[in-house]
Amino acid sequence: MKKSILSFSALFLCCILAWTTLSAQIKPVSGLHENTPNVVALTNARIVVAPGRVIEKGTIVIRDSRIEAVGSAVVIPADAVVRDYSGKTIYPGFIDLYSDYGIQTPKSASSRPGRSSGGFSPFGSQSMARDAQKVGTAHWSSATHPERRASEMFKPDAKKASSLRKLGFTALVTVPKGGIFRGSGSLVLLGEGQTNKLIVAEDVVQGLSFSRGRGSRGQGTDAYPRSLMGVIALMRQSFLDADWYARAWRAYNAAPAGQEAPIRNIGLEALQPFLRGKKPLVIEAGDELAALRAAQLAQEFSLDMWVRGSGTEYRRAQALKNSGLKLIVSLNFPKAPDVSTRERELDITLRDLRHWDMAPENPAMLARAGVSFALTASGLKKGDNFLKNLRTAVARGLAPDKALAALTQIPAQWLGLSRLIGSIEAGKYANLIITDGDVFKKETTIYDSWVAGQRYEVTAQPAKDLRGVYALSVQTGAQTDTGRVRLTGKASALKATLELNGVHIKAKKVVLEGLRLGIVFPGDSLGRTGQVRMSGLEADGTISGTGLWADGTEFSWSAVFARKVQDKPEKKKDKKITRTALKPVYPDGAYGRKTQPEQPQVVVVKNATIWTSGPQGILENADMVVRRGKIQAVGKNLKTPANAVVIDATGKHLTPGLIDAHSHIALAAVNEGSHSVVSEVRTQDVINSDDISIYRQLAGGLTMANLLHGSANPIGGQNSVIKLRWGALPAEMLFDGAMPGIKFALGENVKRSRMQGNTRYPNTRMGVEQIFEDHFQAAKDYRAEWENYRKARKKNKHLVPPRRNLRLETLLEILDGKRQIHCHSYRQDEILALIRVADRMGFKVDVFTHILEGYKVAEAMKKHGAMASCFSDWWAYKFEVYDAIPYNGALMYEQGLVVSYNSDSAELARRMNTEAAKAVKYGGVPPEEAFKFVTLNPAKQLRIEDRVGSLEKGKDADFVIWNGSPLSSLSRAEQTWIDGRKYFDIEQDREMQQANARERAELVQKVLSSAAPSGKGPAGRGMRRRGADETKAVIRHSNFDREQTGHGSMCEVEGDLETR
Amino acid sequence: MRTIHKKTLVAGLKTACLGMVLAVASVSASDQIPAGPQKKPIVLVGGTIHTMAGATIENGMILFDKGKIVSVGEKIEIPADAQRVDISGKHVYPGMIESASILGLTEINSTSATRDFSELGEINPNVKAAVAINPDSEHFPVTRANGVAMAVSMPRGGVIAGQAALLQLDGWTWEDMTLKSPVGMVVNWPRMTVITAWWMTQSPEEQRKRSKKNVEKLHQAMEKARAYKIAREAAGKKGVPFHKYDSRWEAMLPVLRGEVPVWVVADEVKQILAAIEWAERENLKMVLVGGADAWRVTDLLKERDIPVIVTPVLRTPSRRDEAFDAPFTLPQKLHEAGVRFAISGGSSFGNERNLPYHAAKAASYGLPVDEALKAITLYPAQIAGVADRVGTLEPGKDATLFVSDGNPLEVMTHVSLLYLQGRKVDLNNKHKTLYHKYKTKYEQLAQ
Repeated sequence: MKKSILSFSALFLCCILAWTTLSAQIKPVSGLHENTPNVVALTNARIVVAPGRVIEKGTIVIRDSRIEAVGSAVVIPADAVVRDYSGKTIYPGFIDLYSDYGIQTPKSASSRPGRSSGGFSPFGSQSMARDAQKVGTAHWSSATHPERRASEMFKPDAKKASSLRKLGFTALVTVPKGGIFRGSGSLVLLGEGQTNKLIVAEDVVQGLSFSRGRGSRGQGTDAYPRSLMGVIALMRQSFLDADWYARAWRAYNAAPAGQEAPIRNIGLEALQPFLRGKKPLVIEAGDELAALRAAQLAQEFSLDMWVRGSGTEYRRAQALKNSGLKLIVSLNFPKAPDVSTRERELDITLRDLRHWDMAPENPAMLARAGVSFALTASGLKKGDNFLKNLRTAVARGLAPDKALAALTQIPAQWLGLSRLIGSIEAGKYANLIITDGDVFKKETTIYDSWVAGQRYEVTAQPAKDLRGVYALSVQTGAQTDTGRVRLTGKASALKATLELNGVHIKAKKVVLEGLRLGIVFPGDSLGRTGQVRMSGLEADGTISGTGLWADGTEFSWSAVFARKVQDKPEKKKDKKITRTALKPVYPDGAYGRKTQPEQPQVVVVKNATIWTSGPQGILENADMVVRRGKIQAVGKNLKTPANAVVIDATGKHLTPGLIDAHSHIALAAVNEGSHSVVSEVRTQDVINSDDISIYRQLAGGLTMANLLHGSANPIGGQNSVIKLRWGALPAEMLFDGAMPGIKFALGENVKRSRMQGNTRYPNTRMGVEQIFEDHFQAAKDYRAEWENYRKARKKNKHLVPPRRNLRLETLLEILDGKRQIHCHSYRQDEILALIRVADRMGFKVDVFTHILEGYKVAEAMKKHGAMASCFSDWWAYKFEVYDAIPYNGALMYEQGLVVSYNSDSAELARRMNTEAAKAVKYGGVPPEEAFKFVTLNPAKQLRIEDRVGSLEKGKDADFVIWNGSPLSSLSRAEQTWIDGRKYFDIEQDREMQQANARERAELVQKVLSSAAPSGKGPAGRGMRRRGADETKAVIRHSNFDREQTGHGSMCEVEGDLETR
Repeated sequence: MRTIHKKTLVAGLKTACLGMVLAVASVSASDQIPAGPQKKPIVLVGGTIHTMAGATIENGMILFDKGKIVSVGEKIEIPADAQRVDISGKHVYPGMIESASILGLTEINSTSATRDFSELGEINPNVKAAVAINPDSEHFPVTRANGVAMAVSMPRGGVIAGQAALLQLDGWTWEDMTLKSPVGMVVNWPRMTVITAWWMTQSPEEQRKRSKKNVEKLHQAMEKARAYKIAREAAGKKGVPFHKYDSRWEAMLPVLRGEVPVWVVADEVKQILAAIEWAERENLKMVLVGGADAWRVTDLLKERDIPVIVTPVLRTPSRRDEAFDAPFTLPQKLHEAGVRFAISGGSSFGNERNLPYHAAKAASYGLPVDEALKAITLYPAQIAGVADRVGTLEPGKDATLFVSDGNPLEVMTHVSLLYLQGRKVDLNNKHKTLYHKYKTKYEQLAQ
């Protein structure tokens, strides 16, 4: 049965082959017919059929583009040309799943960004920057062009193909460049000839990107998205749109009469084959966190997602394994960082140093973690380094079989094309590489590459191996000198040593052209001047010819083969391979942890002054018992359970962990600053768990932060509330009990006061108010549309469904009280205006943030039910805060508002305790109440006061131990605990610093003694810097730059963060 | 102010009275009236006197007349006409000095019309902060209300930014307010580390070029200034023709003569080392401003006697790997190594009143409290070259001091009296005025 299927498929394949041959004849023949047969038998080779399957001595029969037979006992067809590959190893050709090889990007895309008109049109769209008129039915976003097809943009590039063949590749997937939805890729062969014949399969994968690409910033509506957050939101909406598109057209086509046709969109149409995992998508991920973001999307929409990694995946190997992603691993190994002077070394982080040491083992570590991956030559600064790096990866622990699978079998499987490529088996493309040994070893040479049955020479092979010792005789006139000549080195690159009359002479140059050998050697050792040239022809073991002495005298010579040269093992120039001694820490780099801190069963803090921020007030000499991360009891003379971890806090103060209700740390993007309303974007999508600010703020007693979108838009993006679980993954940092929220903003930032020639609506506070009114009305209309549809659908099955609109759905969540508003606001007029809109529309502004004129309208806020989260004493950094006063908090507190102080700054968040003291100083808030400004009150504002914010029974054990009163500017935090786990300890910090310093010293030594000289260029500086930490560091540094910024408020950054 | 507020409440004043109080407050507060000269001797009695020079005197007295301190001690001779001010239970400190600000040179930082601290071009030695100080800036009353009595205001633009001035934060004109000008020639050392963050629009290559170009500009300026100096000194000598006036190089003469120090703004060790080398070669007196990395080169700083104005302490570490508290422990490291230093918070505009909390942070991470206080009183006076006049409470010095209900390093401490050269300064300000205005609103609503 099985056999019959096989023979059937063989028959089928034959048919295909026949058809393929015929297909070439679509093109008329204008001259003579080209009918050279292509039947070749590759004999006597070691054949690596597939990883782990080797034929020690076998034959491959190629007919046209395919393999006809493989085996150790294959009968060579009578019509075959035989090519003897004795001593050679044949591997299946490598496949690269990610490339832009041969892609011709159209000069003018289907749409061009519009130019801003600037003028006021009372009838046009309220976006004053005019949208460009699209050509055809393109998607509104010029970065969304999934309809582009590599198969229509591909043109083979002989030079590039040749360089890729040198690396072992015979086929690759090439994907259109640029944009967010880039278009579909094709599997192409790296051969030469007719383009039509080189494309093996079209539309095998859809290209995605987290970045719309340099220089593709659109105008008007198309300015969106600008940030990583916006890009992800656009992807999410587009997947929903594509799904809707199919259903809408089905419904419409079933009953087109009497209903509006869904809008036509070539992009959404082109996405159809890639939805719900039918076909894969591929996305570039700049780091391991980006890869996890891709995994999140894949999971959300059940996509088959390939991720082209950056080489840092080992840092989160287990998480990537769990994500089930298909990783295309780039062999991007950093150059040795420049540590040549102490000062230069300072620019290099331990994270960079560790990366330099570990990156070559990224593939090995991923393999060990069980991650399924392919390898790619993309992502390297110099693509030519691929083979070198591949061999390094193998030398550094990647099993050769795994490496081979990652370049052959796995890509073929992922493409669903195992029947055509990926191994050396009958029926498949004759895509092969011919080497003189183990392709993963440094000394091995690739000689030939076969692509679709065509041989391409990679390394020239000599017509004959002339290496050996020859008896030499030189005849000059009557004089005969005898001796020997030794030909050594590589067969294709000979070296020669002559011995004449007992004198040893090393040849200066050896030339081999076919069977003609030329040698140049210095004559002085023979007592003659100048350089001597001799050339001759080899025949049956004898090389004979003529030569010229330096003076022009001729001589004749002959060399008779005597014996083979003893293969002297070449001196090992190779440096000993040292595997890294490092293991990733979380997050990797300084202050990273091997594991999350342990959670003791029971922790007891004894004899502390406890600021409970709860009904128990401040307790002197009191204890707290924590069990499994929750507070069990707070009080005096509590019993210490056996096996408890006891902390003697005599003389110390114990408080709840501080909570920052307005933060922008730990985010890879803060502002989606394009549209006036971006309620669909989510900070949750871009959490950067590696931001060093997290650790630094733990050191200041902070345990939670509300990560808000920036203030570039009246309706900004969604927030996320995290616990500062340093070392955890983004998803693990999210606080499970938090209420969903969103950022609103008013005033100068949203009307872009500091921008020259703003063209975005609104430009005034009048317009800001209208944005809210208009969009909430739109949200209500949207709801009505759906309700009408649901009712009408009962009668009419073929009604075109409304399109899901994530932007408006978010606003509906607000109207339904399921999502709270954090509104950046300063002036009393705008505060009141928003309250009135909210009252009319039926939603609530839960928290006014910044709210520096809240003291002027506290009664209105109170009546509305709003809370206030402000700066303690900042003012005068812009006009709308010129009336900001430090008594603001106290005045609002006196009017019965729940007041918190927030940071909006990575620096200020390190000392929120003394911010609270300012409420005592300015306006006389009682200390205990003032301290709630940074504990219980922010918890209330985030609607999480049932879980955190005070030290009460049943709450999360998030607490801080201080060496004095938390309101004293002379106190400092000594320990910070979250969920009953100690995340910061000032003593441990010192130890970590020392350990980091030792590790740094060792790595610097390793760099300095490594082969790569690093003194030459700023190699280390070229490394990518990521994360907001460095960014902010430099902002701090530039305090004294000519454009003094006043303070480091991230929120005050109106512009947008570039997608990273 | 808090006491006033309490009294108001206790008195239970009704609308009319409140209106009166408000009217009085707003007249005196929205534009505080500079104090006139000290007319008769004043003695503060019963407080703890933190002289910053020798021992602290508990339950002491301090007498000042005609703007100068006459005597300080447990028991001193008091002239008959002296005004006695009972400050029992309170504390007296020398007026605090902010060493590196832009006070008076801008009002609202994002409003360019109010920004006067950054002149065009890279070489501006001739511009003087003093002449652009707006005495009616609301920032002065706000800042001094916390006991920050003096501040260095610095030009900021370009490589050679201009001349910094030490101001007293009260006066009718900038001339009244200027205690010393120039205190230093501000030099912004070009950044020497390449930034590759997302917001950096320049490529690493451009940055290196720009940095190199700016260092080169500085060297050229020095060369030209020296040529000018030689020519000027040769003026009138036989055979020397007339040389025209050059305002920039003229302004550099006191610097070249070593009379005015260069205040080099630099944070990174590479900048600091380059600046020290430069100052040494040019034979200049140098003060380092910023100094985030100063702890890495304490030997050099001590050896060359280069004082450091640490600004700010409340900042994030400049590199990912630095200790979280590196900025906090910097002053203590300098202290330990014997490097002269002062503490400033002035790089954060609008927050100059928080100067003592920068010092407090250093104290909470190891700097002795006494040193922390000196770092915002005596030491800045020494660095600015005015220690003979201010910085401590000693006879003969200016009576520039404040009275508080506790250690000013503590946020919750209140300042109740401030004297500048014996003049009693109005501690009201825009913030307190608005506070009372809106307290009144809610009192009205409550009726």
